Amino acid sequence: MAKMNKVFMLGLIFCVAGFSLFAGGQQDAAGDGAVSLTFFETMTSPGRTATIQGIIDDYKAANPGAEINLISPPYEQADNKLTLMLTSNQDLDVVEVRDHTIKQFVNNGKLMDLSGYLKDWDEAGDLLPLANSAARTVDNTPYLIPQFFFVKALFVRTDILKQYGYDTMPATMEEMYEMAIAISGENAAQFGFGFRGKGSSFKISDVMILSDLDNIDPANVYKTSDGKFSFNNDVAREAVANYVDLFRNAVPSDGINWGFNEQVNAFISGTTPFLIQDPDTVALVNEQLGEENYTVIPIPVGKSGRSYLDYGFAGLGIPSYTKKADEAWDFISYMTGAEKNAEFCKAYGPLPIHGASYASDPYFSSGVYKAWETTMSDTDTYSFIKYPLDSPKYPGWAQVQEQYMQSLLIGEITVDEAIAKWSGYWEY
Amino acid sequence: MISERNTHRFMLVPAALLLILFIYLPVLKGATMAFQSYNMFDLSNLHFNGFENFINVITNPDIRFLQILGNTLVWVVGSLALQFLLGFLLAMLMKDPFKGRGLYSGLVFYAWALSGFAIGLTWAWLFNGQFGLVNDIFIRSGILKEPVGFLSSPRLAMISVIIANVWYGIPFFGIMLLAALQSVPGELYEAATIDGAGRFHQLFSVTIPYIRPTIISTTLLRTMWIINFPDIIYAMTNGGPVNRTNILATQMINKIFKEYDYGQGAAIGVIIMVLLFAYASFYLKMSSRKEGDV
Repeated sequence: MAKMNKVFMLGLIFCVAGFSLFAGGQQDAAGDGAVSLTFFETMTSPGRTATIQGIIDDYKAANPGAEINLISPPYEQADNKLTLMLTSNQDLDVVEVRDHTIKQFVNNGKLMDLSGYLKDWDEAGDLLPLANSAARTVDNTPYLIPQFFFVKALFVRTDILKQYGYDTMPATMEEMYEMAIAISGENAAQFGFGFRGKGSSFKISDVMILSDLDNIDPANVYKTSDGKFSFNNDVAREAVANYVDLFRNAVPSDGINWGFNEQVNAFISGTTPFLIQDPDTVALVNEQLGEENYTVIPIPVGKSGRSYLDYGFAGLGIPSYTKKADEAWDFISYMTGAEKNAEFCKAYGPLPIHGASYASDPYFSSGVYKAWETTMSDTDTYSFIKYPLDSPKYPGWAQVQEQYMQSLLIGEITVDEAIAKWSGYWEY
Repeated sequence: MISERNTHRFMLVPAALLLILFIYLPVLKGATMAFQSYNMFDLSNLHFNGFENFINVITNPDIRFLQILGNTLVWVVGSLALQFLLGFLLAMLMKDPFKGRGLYSGLVFYAWALSGFAIGLTWAWLFNGQFGLVNDIFIRSGILKEPVGFLSSPRLAMISVIIANVWYGIPFFGIMLLAALQSVPGELYEAATIDGAGRFHQLFSVTIPYIRPTIISTTLLRTMWIINFPDIIYAMTNGGPVNRTNILATQMINKIFKEYDYGQGAAIGVIIMVLLFAYASFYLKMSSRKEGDV
């Protein structure tokens, strides 16, 4: 009896240990002849995932036997989860890379150089210059094919402005500030500008502030052409002070805690008729407000006569360790080809990557999208700049910028002190 | 007899294996990271760097460690005190049966099932300076003349996130203390009544001493939970304005999820563990001492 118990226990121990060992095992690939890819989405939202799934279904219809498993983690955790999966070489074949994650993936050797595929792709020649630039963000090497661009533009509540006697749009940032301040306080619930106080707020504040400078380094928005920190000069100092003035005179005090939801809601409700946002906001505004009550114009120019615009993007890459690179590329070229790319961008809202989409599809060159068509084509006025995405300091910048900007806005520190803190962070 | 003892030990081995594999090894790995330059931005530079992560977290002027530590203390003490008091009150009210108690308790304890992040988003709208229900009520009732930006005010932001966390945590204490209260023998109350004790006296002489072990264990558990709970703050204020609501847990999240610096994130995690260990040791020691005196 005792001996039997011991044998039983030993068996149980081995079973538990064995289970633990295999707990992390990978799923076997599909049978011979069938292509099975794993696609990891990072900018997840229900509507977006449905659109991607639709494109996958179309691809499967065109490629019988193909199977694509879409992984769609919650938006807040997706970048981190992808980082962990790539680091441990988990089974992935197509990954959605963000503009702020591409550098780390390349640093860690996780993305494949797509030069060879790009060379043979018959649609490569029609990619916008911006698309080629985005693809080559790191080491001038194409580690991804961008899917779309987010470029900021000014959303304007034309109906609200009309109530206050304004029939024309602001042509300069200065005019926008004046209009926003002028209509604020006319009644208790009326303010002028849809502020962004948290959550990468620098992507809006710095667009507005640095537009006064005429010597921004296109390769790094935080440097002037002489290599110094962009904010460390009299022009920028005054521009920051004007920005603070706008906050104090045209924004509810609550604005310091406004993220995307709050600023868009304030625009839709009419509280703030000016909103700087990306094109994916169009669908949301159309749905809740209606197209007749607002328009979109390019970002007004600063005192320099220009606007400096970031182009946010995400793209599709292939993990360097995958054994199905050719199959992965076949899907990527399908999804980022002009036809499917335009379809995706219409459903989801951002800007497509092919020149053909703007030339042949009126959707992307008329209506509110004309603002972006203008921004894309008028390169003398609208300069595309880059954030220092390749710097290891970039990931921490959002928090540093935000805390000192907030401190400045509530009057705890001066403009000079804030600029000194930011300059100290970048060490330019 | 000997074989019986061995059988018991064998029985424990699978559970021990599972604990080691899924709890202790990850904790050890995390603690190890705290002493490494472990940044996902570039893993080719991975190496042990002694206490550099801790020094950086504590002394980096952009991190404001002392403020974060102070915020964490306020967040934990404020949340715990109010959660406990209101939970206790709720439990007292629920103790005696009344019509519809079952349905009422279900509704009241529903908050416990919600995601912290979702609760944070909901309360962010409630406290919104332009559209929030709180402002609407205060203005309609004449308490306020104009809207207040609760979440953007350096003075009010922490109070606001604590209120949300209190709302979230009341059910925990309500459930636990209700169960404890229902286990107090009725004879003790009868004896106290015979001795002439009023309700107030009964509360402090009979009820609280009897459920003391539950109070000690639930407040200890809840403290640990609150200090490690960044969800509500993250959703409501992102740690702002100007770090006024940034606690150790939100700073740890920032380090890992936004900066990909697992080394410094793990260092903050270790600091949290050390603080909790010290607190738990002190707390249990004081509690057992008092018990001995009685």
